[in-house]
Amino acid sequence: MAPIEKRTRMSWESALPRSLAGGALDRSAAGTTDPAMDSDAFAVFYERSARPLWAYLVRVSSDPALADDLMQESFVRFLCAAGAPSLYTMGETAARLYLFRIATNLLRDHWRRPRAASIEEIPEEFFAGRDSAAHSDSQIMLGPALRRMNPRERQLLWLAYAEGYSHREIAKVTGLAATSIRLLLFRARRKIAGFLRGRASHVGRES
Amino acid sequence: MMRKNCPHEKEIRELIEDGHWPLAALPELRAHVGECRTCSDLALVAGVFQNARIETMAAAKLASPGVLLWRAQLRRRNAAVERLTRPLLGAQIFALAVTLLAGLGFMGFEARHGLAWLNWLEQIPQSVGPLWDNLFSASVTSSGWAWMVLVAGLATLLLLGGVAIYKVTDGQERIGRP
Repeated sequence: MAPIEKRTRMSWESALPRSLAGGALDRSAAGTTDPAMDSDAFAVFYERSARPLWAYLVRVSSDPALADDLMQESFVRFLCAAGAPSLYTMGETAARLYLFRIATNLLRDHWRRPRAASIEEIPEEFFAGRDSAAHSDSQIMLGPALRRMNPRERQLLWLAYAEGYSHREIAKVTGLAATSIRLLLFRARRKIAGFLRGRASHVGRES
Repeated sequence: MMRKNCPHEKEIRELIEDGHWPLAALPELRAHVGECRTCSDLALVAGVFQNARIETMAAAKLASPGVLLWRAQLRRRNAAVERLTRPLLGAQIFALAVTLLAGLGFMGFEARHGLAWLNWLEQIPQSVGPLWDNLFSASVTSSGWAWMVLVAGLATLLLLGGVAIYKVTDGQERIGRP
């Protein structure tokens, strides 16, 4: 992944009076946030991160409209967060991990809001039939199999096998213990592999 | 369910992530995947998820990054304004509380020491002239200047209370404004 070129132009927060910049100028001076997160740098980061984030959200939530909302909210919170990692000191990978963590928390909040106290308690019927993503070959295979997984399993599988994150990175995003990721992922993988094989044989019989 | 580690997992995963599986894989490795349950699960799941990622990313319709920057800027500004006005609101509420406490204390004090002036209230239905006479006589004879102090105190209390309530509601309106 190519690093973002560092720019020395005026940041967008500096256009505001100090009292109205929401502490951004102070944080910049203290070096705790990105000193040059100007519109160009953000546009590059957004271009590289928005599509993977949207894909993650839409596959886990099975709701493209919700994915749109949560993706935008994730970026806004990322820009407003005092503890967000700097693109230049921490790197784009760390910033993207932080972004995925925000999105994961937003998803969890969304699921908790209507009725359940934990995402494991949400019935699978809630997710069934809500996936309106494109019906491609992989979608025909993966969509029904994903719908049979619980939300946490979807998150783990997507982060591990679509995004290619390590167990430690997945632990940072989901808030789970790094030691438990390996076993949870192994179980989820075996489960969805069974569904995929069953789906493949079903599609083969139909065709 | 017991997890079985396979030494080829990492190699297979890297091949899939690089898009080299299965064409660029060694025949031995492909043969191993055909026999190993763990590796065949990995190859199947990772392959399907990689393809799904590419297709899903292509379907994304992204908003302009400028809109997100603007929203973030607006949210930060609102948060900063709220942070600035919070101490003022606290001071206004404190002033209102002190005013009310002072008023209650004053009323309590008057209730204990100067109730004689209340006698004139019983004669309100009568004419205005005798009322003023009664007021004056009651104040002079029973509790002196207590009623005048009370009236002045109540007026001040009402004035200060009104100002405090106005300030508090004005502050809340400003905070709630987008």
